[in-house]
Amino acid sequence: MAWLTSLWEAVWHWLSTAIFAPIWQEIYKTVIEAGRWRFYVQGIGNTLLMAAVACLIGVAIGLLIAVVKVVHASSGEKPKGWLRILNWFANFYTTIIRGTPMVLQLLIIFFIVFAAAPFHMAIYVAALAFGLNSGAYVSEIIRAGILSIDRGQVEAGRSLGLSSAQTMRLIVLPQAVKNILPALFNEFISLLKETSVAGWISVVDVTKAGDLIRTRVPNFSPLLVSAAIYLAMVLGLTRLLKGIERRLSQSDRR
Amino acid sequence: MIVASNLCKSFGELQVLRDINEEIHTGEKVVVVGPSGSGKSTFLRCLNLLEQPTSGQIFFEGQDLTDPKTDCNRLRQKMGMVFQQFNLFPHLTVRRNITLAPTTLGLQTAEEADENAMRLLTRIGLADKADVFPRKLSGGQQQRVAIVRALAMNPDVMLFDEPTSALDPEMVGEVLDVMKELAREGMTMVVVTHEMGFAKEVGTRVLFMDEGEILEQAPPEEFFSNPKHPRLRDFLAKVL
Ligand SMILES: Nc1ncnc2c1ncn2[C@@H]1O[C@H](COP(=O)(O)OP(=O)(O)O)[C@@H](O)[C@H]1O
Ligand SMILES: [Mg+2]
Repeated sequence: MAWLTSLWEAVWHWLSTAIFAPIWQEIYKTVIEAGRWRFYVQGIGNTLLMAAVACLIGVAIGLLIAVVKVVHASSGEKPKGWLRILNWFANFYTTIIRGTPMVLQLLIIFFIVFAAAPFHMAIYVAALAFGLNSGAYVSEIIRAGILSIDRGQVEAGRSLGLSSAQTMRLIVLPQAVKNILPALFNEFISLLKETSVAGWISVVDVTKAGDLIRTRVPNFSPLLVSAAIYLAMVLGLTRLLKGIERRLSQSDRR
Repeated sequence: MIVASNLCKSFGELQVLRDINEEIHTGEKVVVVGPSGSGKSTFLRCLNLLEQPTSGQIFFEGQDLTDPKTDCNRLRQKMGMVFQQFNLFPHLTVRRNITLAPTTLGLQTAEEADENAMRLLTRIGLADKADVFPRKLSGGQQQRVAIVRALAMNPDVMLFDEPTSALDPEMVGEVLDVMKELAREGMTMVVVTHEMGFAKEVGTRVLFMDEGEILEQAPPEEFFSNPKHPRLRDFLAKVL
């Protein structure tokens, strides 16, 4: 057995000097040396902040647009004038957002719409831009969820004297949520990754943090560390959202 | 109570209701029969404006429902409707199905609505189901709950669109019994149905609808024993 032990020692020695030590050295240089981890921590904070704010804005806008489109579509042959205007605007909005690149939208909103915004406000402008973008996609998700609810539900609500808004709020949306959530959760996860273009307007997010460190540690590891951080965040968020989804569907089986 | 005057309804090119003039008086139990696709549902749904008439007017208790200035939601509170597919709200308990509209519209406090719901459920023998969700009920039970959900608004008229057509045969009776009791209490009713027995027993007037027109109407004895229009004779020969 002694030869086995010495073989293992030889292999271990080789592994630690040829593989582990260089990797550790890389990581040390990238993350720990000169307190560089602070870039990553800042980046994680900013990425999460942008994703969370954008998500709230996206759901609010998406809900609004979806309701406008659904109400317009279900109001028969001659919808009221203001509804037609709202619907036109909703269509215009989703067409523009879905027809142009995210980075360009971000640049336009920062440099043209908010031309006077100071750079420390860039993160809020970015969050707004991502929220406006997400809203267009969320609206389609919510619209599909609303349309999946049987027309009879609306008719039952209206026949009891409820207004269309009350019917939407108390009868349609609570049922639609179950169909909307899985797709909406996917959208949140995409959103988290899509914020990685915020560096274009100098927001230090996880991507930009890796990129900044790359200028000091000219090697491949800073970007790989960024990638690993995104992966960890995505996996964590996926688990969290799946858990929520499971709990909701359980409470639904009553 | 309800007056339809020169009521027309088209879906695109398809003309479904052709110039219908009809009046429904307080206390009447009007039964509407006719082949499928003849426009019975559309007629009923025009009465509470679930379908917007293409032309013509609907008056309910003297108010013109088709006038854009009329508050349809208010008037609908007084017109209960029961659907072929029940249309209970699956995300709410039976009790909440019944109390939702009266409490949301501020007509009853939560306690009043609750008491009212329990009283209605007791009447149809489903008090023990108050806190279950609709999918746990049989079709017959669901339809009975749908009826009391409409009754909880204290309507002046009840519209029924083939309330027993989606039910297994053994459940038809329990739903018709609730409707018969309602009729005995004096509720004004408009019922679209294929249950000729119900028409004979409960109806005060039977309308025959075909291709968007009311071709014949009469009290049930005369309607069934002495049909005049050839299409009605054909129809009765097929269903009786
Ligand atoms: N929402 C609608 N859009 C288009 N056509 C419709 C609609 N509702 C009903 N119809 C048509 O109108 C006709 C009458 O339908 P309906 O009133 O449901 O008849 P019934 O209840 O007597 O069976 C049918 O030909 C049907 O296909
Ligand atoms: Mg029908």
